[in-house]
Amino acid sequence: MNERLTCVLCPIGCLIETVRRGDDLEVRGNECPKGVDFAVQEILHPKRNLSASVPLKGTASRMVSVRLSQSVPRDLIFPILDAIAVLRPEAPVRRGQILIADVLGSGADVVATRTIKP
Amino acid sequence: MTETGTVVERHDIVVIGGGPAGLAAALGARRAGIDDVLLIERDRVLGGILNQCIHDGFGLFLYKETISGPEYAERLAEDAAREGVIFHTGAMVLDLSPDRVLRVNAADGYRLVRAGAVILAMGCRERTRDMIGIPGTRPAGIFTAGSAQNMVNLHNLKIGREAVILGSGDVGLIMARRLTFEGIKVRGVFEILPWPSGLERNVRQCLQDFGIPLELSSTVVDIRGRDRVSSVIVARVDGSSRPIPGSEREIACDTLLFSVGLIPENELSKRAGVVLSPLTGGAVVDETLMTGVPGVFSCGNVLHIHDVADWASFEGFEAGRRAAEFVRGRRSGAETVEVRVGENIRYVLPQIVRRGASGVTLNFRVRRPMRSVAVEVREAASDRILTRVKLYRLIPSEMRQIRIPTSVEDALEIVAHE
Ligand SMILES: Cc1cc2nc3c(=O)[nH]c(=O)nc-3n(C[C@H](O)[C@H](O)[C@H](O)COP(=O)(O)OP(=O)(O)OC[C@H]3O[C@@H](n4cnc5c(N)ncnc54)[C@H](O)[C@@H]3O)c2cc1C
Ligand code: SF4
Repeated sequence: MNERLTCVLCPIGCLIETVRRGDDLEVRGNECPKGVDFAVQEILHPKRNLSASVPLKGTASRMVSVRLSQSVPRDLIFPILDAIAVLRPEAPVRRGQILIADVLGSGADVVATRTIKP
Repeated sequence: MTETGTVVERHDIVVIGGGPAGLAAALGARRAGIDDVLLIERDRVLGGILNQCIHDGFGLFLYKETISGPEYAERLAEDAAREGVIFHTGAMVLDLSPDRVLRVNAADGYRLVRAGAVILAMGCRERTRDMIGIPGTRPAGIFTAGSAQNMVNLHNLKIGREAVILGSGDVGLIMARRLTFEGIKVRGVFEILPWPSGLERNVRQCLQDFGIPLELSSTVVDIRGRDRVSSVIVARVDGSSRPIPGSEREIACDTLLFSVGLIPENELSKRAGVVLSPLTGGAVVDETLMTGVPGVFSCGNVLHIHDVADWASFEGFEAGRRAAEFVRGRRSGAETVEVRVGENIRYVLPQIVRRGASGVTLNFRVRRPMRSVAVEVREAASDRILTRVKLYRLIPSEMRQIRIPTSVEDALEIVAHE
C-alpha cells in the first residue's frame, strides 16, 4: 500500500512517499534519516489520543467531556470508545479526574476535561 | 446622554467576549497594573467556542502541553478570576458608541457602562449555506459544522445516520471524526479548492485514519429530500470553481454539514464606527491592536480568524497591555503608514503602523500552498528590503509571523515568492 505524508519533525516538512510490503516500509523523499523513523512510527505504529462526551449520571444531556491521559495505538480507538460510551460519571466531577484507570490495559487513563460542580 | 432609569457604571477597561482572546486581554490589562477590568460575556459560562471543542490539540504554546478546549477554557478563566478580573456573565453588549459607552442587557436589567478603553473579543460566526448560495430544497438535516459540534458535544443529540461534509475547514474535519466516533457514517468531505483548507494533521488524523474520502476541486451542487435530506449531488469543478457539466454524482445521506469558513463577528464594531478590512473581515488595526476608533482595541477571531487558540490568547494579552497604556495616557504618535499586501499574500495584520514604531511583528497568510519561499517586507516607495526570511513551506491554513527589526518610517509592502 502506498501512502504520502508530511514529516512534522522539523520545519522543512518533507513530503514522504511510503510503500508498505507487510512489515517492511520503503521510504522516499525524506531529506534526513529522522524522516524514516517518523514514517515507520506513523505508518506501522500510529498512536492517537481521543475524546468523547458522556452524560452525567441521572441526566440526558448534562455532558462531561473526556480524553485519554496519553496516546494509544490507533487500533484501540474503537474498543476504548465502547468502554467510554457506557460511562455515567456522578457529579461533582473535577477536571483531570480519572474516570477509567488504565483503560483496556493500554496504560492510558480516561480523564474528565471539564469541572461539574455539585 | 444617560437615559432615565438606567444604571451608569464606569470601568477603566471593558472586554467584550469571554473566549480565550477576551480572557487573555483582561489578564493582560490586569498584569499591566489596571485594577478595574470588567469582562462581559453573553453566555453563562466563560471560554467561548473552546467549550465545544472537546478534542485535544490546544495549549502547546501557552501551557506547554496539549489539552482539550474545555480544559484550556477553565484554566484561563481560573487565572483571570484569581488575578482579579471582574466578570459579568449572562450579559450581552447590545451597542457600543464611538465614545466608548456600552449598552448591556443582563438578567438583572439594562445598564450603561462607560469605559476608559474597550477591547473587542466577540469571536466569529460560521458562513452558512445561504452565503455560498447552494440551490435545492430546504429539508431538515442541514447544519453548520460548528452547530453540529455544539449539539453532539454539549447536548448529546444524535444528528443523523449518514453524513456528507462540504468544505475541509478544521471544524469540518474534526466533526468528520467526531461523527465517526458516534457511529455516524461519513460518506465524504468535498472541497472546492485544489487543496484542503484545514491543517494537514487534521486531514490525516480525522479523515485518513478512518478511510473517509476527501475530494478536492469538487462541491455540492444540489440538495435533495422533502422533509429530511435524502441525497446530495456533488460535482467536480474547473479552475475557476465552476461545476463541470457531466461530472455530477448522487450520494445518499440524511445529513449535510457545512464547513465553509468563519467570519469575524463585527456588528458591534460597526456600530462604534470601527473601519473593517475586506481582506480579514475584522478591524483595521495598528501595531498596538487599536482600531481607528481611539481607545477601542480588537483581538482574537473578531480581528482575524485564528486556527490556533494560543495565537488568539497571545493577541489578547497584547491587546490588554496596549489598552492599559491607552488608559494611562502613555501613548504617543498618531501618524501612521500603511502595510500593503503584495504578491501571493492573502492578508497582513496590522494593516497600519505608527511612524517610528520598532520591533513590529506582522501576521500574514499566503494565498496558496508554496514551497521554498522567501518572504520580504520592503518600503513601498524605495523598494528597500527591511527584513527577509526563507521558509521551506507555507500553506494558507497556517498563519505566520515576520518581525521588522528596524523602525518603520514609510509605507510597507509584504510579498512572498518561490
Ligand atoms: C470548532 C472549532 C475548532 C477549533 N479547533 C482548534 C484546535 O484544535 N486547536 C486550536 O489551537 N484552536 C482551534 N480552534 C481555534 C480557536 O478555538 C479559536 O481561535 C479561539 O477560540 C478564538 O477565540 P476568541 O476568544 O477570539 O473567540 P470565541 O472563543 O468565539 O469567544 C468569543 C466570545 O464572545 C462572546 N460574545 C460575542 N458577542 C458578544 C456580545 N455582544 N456580548 C457579550 N459577549 C459576546 C461569545 O459568547 C463568546 O464566548 C478551533 C475553532 C473552532 C471554531
Ligand atoms: S525528514 Fe528530516 S529534514 Fe525532512 S522534515 Fe523530517 S526531520 Fe526535517
